Amino acid sequence: MTDKNIKMAAASAVGGVTRRTVVAGIGAAGIVAGTSPFSIVRAAGGPLKVGVLLPRSGVQAGIGQDCQRGVEVAAPILKELGLPELQIMNGDTESNEQTARAQAEKLIGDGAQLLVGAFDSGQSAAIAQVAEQKGIPFVINIAAAPQITEQGYKYVFRNFPTAVTILTDAFKQQLEIFKQVGSAPKSVVFLHVNDTFGSAMAGGIGKVMPKFDMPYKVAETIAYDRAARDLSVEIAKAKATGGDALLVVSRLNDAILLTRELVKQRWTPEAILSMGPGWYEDQYFKTLGKLSDGPISFVPWYDPKKKLSETLKAAMKKAYPDVNMNTNHVYTFEALLVAADAYKRAGTGNSKELTEAVRSTNITDNVSIGEGIRFNAKGQNDTVGDASIQNVGGELVVVAPEKAAVAKAVWPMPPYDKR
Amino acid sequence: MIARLTDGLPPRALALLAAFAVVMAVAPFFASDYVLSVLIISLYFAFVGQAWNLMLGFAGQLSLGHALFVGIGAYTSAALFTHFGVSPWAGVIAAVALSTLMGCVIGYLGFRFSIRGVYFALLTIAFAEFTGIMVDNSAWLGGSAGLFLPVKNAGSIDFLNLRGPPILFYYLILILTGGALVLCRFLLNSKLGLYWQAIRDDQEAAEAAGVPLFRYKMIAVAISSALTGIAGVWYAFYYNNLFPESTFATGRSVELILGTVVGGVGTLFGPILGALILTPLGELLTELTSGLQIDGIKTFFWGFCVVAIVLFRPSGVWPWLAGLLKLDGRSANGGGR
Repeated sequence: MTDKNIKMAAASAVGGVTRRTVVAGIGAAGIVAGTSPFSIVRAAGGPLKVGVLLPRSGVQAGIGQDCQRGVEVAAPILKELGLPELQIMNGDTESNEQTARAQAEKLIGDGAQLLVGAFDSGQSAAIAQVAEQKGIPFVINIAAAPQITEQGYKYVFRNFPTAVTILTDAFKQQLEIFKQVGSAPKSVVFLHVNDTFGSAMAGGIGKVMPKFDMPYKVAETIAYDRAARDLSVEIAKAKATGGDALLVVSRLNDAILLTRELVKQRWTPEAILSMGPGWYEDQYFKTLGKLSDGPISFVPWYDPKKKLSETLKAAMKKAYPDVNMNTNHVYTFEALLVAADAYKRAGTGNSKELTEAVRSTNITDNVSIGEGIRFNAKGQNDTVGDASIQNVGGELVVVAPEKAAVAKAVWPMPPYDKR
Repeated sequence: MIARLTDGLPPRALALLAAFAVVMAVAPFFASDYVLSVLIISLYFAFVGQAWNLMLGFAGQLSLGHALFVGIGAYTSAALFTHFGVSPWAGVIAAVALSTLMGCVIGYLGFRFSIRGVYFALLTIAFAEFTGIMVDNSAWLGGSAGLFLPVKNAGSIDFLNLRGPPILFYYLILILTGGALVLCRFLLNSKLGLYWQAIRDDQEAAEAAGVPLFRYKMIAVAISSALTGIAGVWYAFYYNNLFPESTFATGRSVELILGTVVGGVGTLFGPILGALILTPLGELLTELTSGLQIDGIKTFFWGFCVVAIVLFRPSGVWPWLAGLLKLDGRSANGGGR
């Protein structure tokens, strides 16, 4: 999960968004309609033109380009699933809402029949307006601000958990893990980066946590500077509290600094529970090697037990051997999966019929955590959720929820000095 | 008053201005939706650039935090509309009042304590940054999760609540840009404008000549922040969502002033021309580089073009173009106003 998404989670959790009940999908309509000869004939009219809008330059360039990997590997998988071909039209939002809006107009002007994107909530919201005005379906790959699907749009769909879901699942799954391992920390130290993201997260956690009967107390909350080059004081302070575990909201650089400091000060907490980025990223593994083992992160993720996850993972491994499959790839791919599935069932690129087909999506053979992909009346998939992933031997292992877990959590963390 | 506005302008300039106004007025009937959206963004930058130009180009006070006033205007009107259903036409009054007040606070601190030049610019950045952090931590304003305006009936025009298709926002920003041009021309040709220019050109000399520096600099900041606050209201209702991280960012402030720098700081038509160069240039480069499949290549070329323009036309494109078209009028100093 990206820091932006978690940030959305924290802040919006304060608002206490009420989610509506799921509108029942049209049963197996997707499969039935998709395989009917009539549908195939109509869909065979040509590939569906899909405008993919991602921040491939600007401050979010790295993330946008990572999402693009999910696009690059999609075609053969969709073909294997018997889905119609997509003609991808790329648009760079340049990490900017104004450009995102203009690019959406451009792609639609160039013939895009469906839009996908745009990772960032602000950019996605800007695109959503254009899609709505033009009556073009827009499938959001990643963006967690709940309000996007609460604004009353008819053409906007999102198969990504909202911010509230992300935070709620994090605490729910902590309880599940405690039960699974038969142990739980009695006190935690909450360490968070002291910028707007970290502060918003701290606020959100403060609102959501009391709703759960957590077995631990927060012994101390320690905020640290984002640009800190040394976190020895913070770790010393945390260690001195006698806390059993660390609850952290950090980014990549400080996650590495914190780990190095834990090693240096010879303190291995029972667990590191992360509700932010950093601890599951490729660079964390590459930099720390075996010292990267142990942390558990709570993120929207793929379900390793699903068949399509294996397919996507294999395709990713083949195309990008040095990259671990992550949220960006999964949800971008799934947005295209929704597009292709809807096109197959609609049998036409006509925006109205295509939108209705997207609305009646009921994909059970998918990749991400949750029951599948289907949208409620507001266009939100409210069955999609988080996973708890633990770093084990350089791999990311799903340890909760139970339905998706492939291993039990390693608890407590292996001591740093015995690795 | 009209005579005062047109005084000193050659007939050729007036004719070109009229032709430009007509082209802009009828443009939506010929432009595609995409081109219309590019024109809308260009005009927005032209309007804000004009407001910023008033402060630096006319009165010599450098602000690098003008996103602050856009943000205050945007958040004030959006919050009033979202929480209380207040029409933006009423909300704009509160928005202008608040952004002007903030401008005056910054101006007071800067001018009373003789904070000048880059230090004054730093002061404006600091105010933008801490206001952004305050909004980021305000649940009422949506915090970092953003403030979203309801967008129902996107296809129909609800003029009272500024809800409607892009063409509504096009004409609104066109009127605002035209109005700002007329206002700036009027101010520049008044005693106020002369005082500002005196302050800009040599503050000490102006003071020695009896120009009350503090008062006139405060007036410049107040008008500039008020106009920028209005732009914020337009921005909020056009984009329908606000995020403190991007709204108040220093990068956004730089974006707002770039058109004016390219067009010509201190000229009346520079901000408009600069905005009409930079935004379409960006889109043109997107088109030209899309086949290259190299992420960020467009931004590279765009930066290259901006550097080239600044290198070859250090005073901005408008003074050069105005000279070329013989639109200079009576004032050599204000070439091409």
